[in-house]
Amino acid sequence: MANGSSRNSDRQTIPVSFTLNGRLQEMDVEPHELLLDVVRDRLGLTGAKRSCDVQVCGACTLLVDGRPVSACTTLAFEVRGSSVMTIEGLADEGKLHPLQQAFIEHGGFQCGFCTPGMLLAAKALLDEIPNPSEEQLKHFMHGNLCRCTGYKKIIESIMAAAKKMRGGRA
Amino acid sequence: MQFQKEVEILATREKVWRFIWDVDRFIACVPGCKDAKTVEEGKRYTAIMTEKVGPFKVEFPTTIEVLERVELTRIKAQATGTDNKIGSRMKIDLDVNLREQENKTIVEFVAGVDILGKLAALGHGIIKRKADQVLDEFAQAVKQKLEGDG
Amino acid sequence: MLRRFRLDEPESVAEVSELLGRFGDSAKVYAGGTELLLAMKEGLVHYERLINVKKLKGLGEVASDNGTIKIGALCTHHELENSSLIKQSLPALAQLEQNVANVRVRQAGTLGGNLCFAEPHADPGTLLIALGATMVAQKSSSKREIAAEEFFVDAYETSLEADEVLCEIRVPTPGPNGRSAYLKFGYLERPSVGVAVAFNLINGNLSDIRIAVGCAGPAPKRVAQAEALLSGKSKDEAARNLAQAGALAGRASQAISDLHGAQDYKEHIVGVLLKRAFQAALS
Repeated sequence: MANGSSRNSDRQTIPVSFTLNGRLQEMDVEPHELLLDVVRDRLGLTGAKRSCDVQVCGACTLLVDGRPVSACTTLAFEVRGSSVMTIEGLADEGKLHPLQQAFIEHGGFQCGFCTPGMLLAAKALLDEIPNPSEEQLKHFMHGNLCRCTGYKKIIESIMAAAKKMRGGRA
Repeated sequence: MQFQKEVEILATREKVWRFIWDVDRFIACVPGCKDAKTVEEGKRYTAIMTEKVGPFKVEFPTTIEVLERVELTRIKAQATGTDNKIGSRMKIDLDVNLREQENKTIVEFVAGVDILGKLAALGHGIIKRKADQVLDEFAQAVKQKLEGDG
Repeated sequence: MLRRFRLDEPESVAEVSELLGRFGDSAKVYAGGTELLLAMKEGLVHYERLINVKKLKGLGEVASDNGTIKIGALCTHHELENSSLIKQSLPALAQLEQNVANVRVRQAGTLGGNLCFAEPHADPGTLLIALGATMVAQKSSSKREIAAEEFFVDAYETSLEADEVLCEIRVPTPGPNGRSAYLKFGYLERPSVGVAVAFNLINGNLSDIRIAVGCAGPAPKRVAQAEALLSGKSKDEAARNLAQAGALAGRASQAISDLHGAQDYKEHIVGVLLKRAFQAALS
């Protein structure tokens, strides 16, 4: 590759201002940067995983304005003006979110690789449907894959968290 | 992928055989093929094969080796090419047989086509269809060129 | 990692069209990116410029206008699955949209993008053909409407011209006697076979029937020969012709043998889905 190229000044950057886990973040990104790479490599938040890289497994799930997105297939500049939540922002100052608590209590994870994506997708589900039927839960979570648990404990965990969040006991 | 095509040409075997070795005119019959060059007469040729499926384009700089040649009857050749931009390789094993029938020549093409690398991600079915189309167009173009020239 | 590209963010369709005309094959329209970015990541395509169309106004709404439902090309699958207008007037489409890919793709992916990328293994095109939809394409200075059945030319290929932008999808509002259904089958990530059926049921008789098959072949197709077997018949008579109609539809699907299944298998599934879609539409 040519050195000392003045091409650097030709490179287009886009200023991106967004809230990340509740805090204001300002940075410049190039148009081709993927959200997953920015979050993991530039921001050091490695909870989101690159797994299938084609939007089918959900291991890279992040919440943008509360909506689940595949960070592996989202251009970073798209979060300008939005609020982004990664798994690192789910707990509230060290206090576990009911979903996290439920996953622990009900065995909703084994290796933990899918878990960050699973928890964020579950949060998006419960924010949209606080009292989901099992069918609604399965439909929503369909795009989050787990190789370890066989899903039964994940469903139980989410249902338990949902009940807790609605004011009932787990 | 295997393909078999047969085309009936209203021309003598000699005429068809001469046409095949007229590299520029012959290569012009392959859709998307250009820049045909003779490296070694009768043995080795190069060309650039381009194809397009929707937004997906490939450009294979191709080397064609003639493996067997039976005067007026048979040609066995192999074409190979690599598209480095898209990370794909192409290999075609071609068997061409000429048969005389009254005042016609029956040309039979048997082609084994292999596409390796990223392009295969498009799906075997799509590639197969495309290859089939290309071979059909090729056979028809050869026929038209030979019959049209009178 | 993606290769570097420049981002354009025009604010009018005319500007998009002008950019496409100027930069040709080296520029591409970018909306949700759910298909495009995958192809780019795979290295199968590269563009020097992406034209972000999400700043275009007026392309993200669903509205009813004088017997036609107008769907903006930028509507996401999620918006369509939740649109009360779509749920009420085009329930088969709402259900289809609810089952596109997964929740994340539905959040980002747009109907327009789905149609324009023309991936063979996609759902909406098939149903839109059966619903008699039209696609509104715009260039710098002109607009035209393309019938859905003429929109899909081949795998990854539509009849849009290089500088045309898909703006809107128009679906005639079905009358009170309108029935429709879309069924798909697949066990891989994308659907393997999709069949859509739409008709009017008046006094037990079928009229204005439209049948479309997709996913099995390179592009979704309307199957007029299968329609002819059912049109004007009573629903019982039509039911008796379903096997034959299914066989016709199977062959018309141009099924390709691939990882999704062998050609004859897919043709068979088309027949099965046609029967079930017919029953679903009647119920």
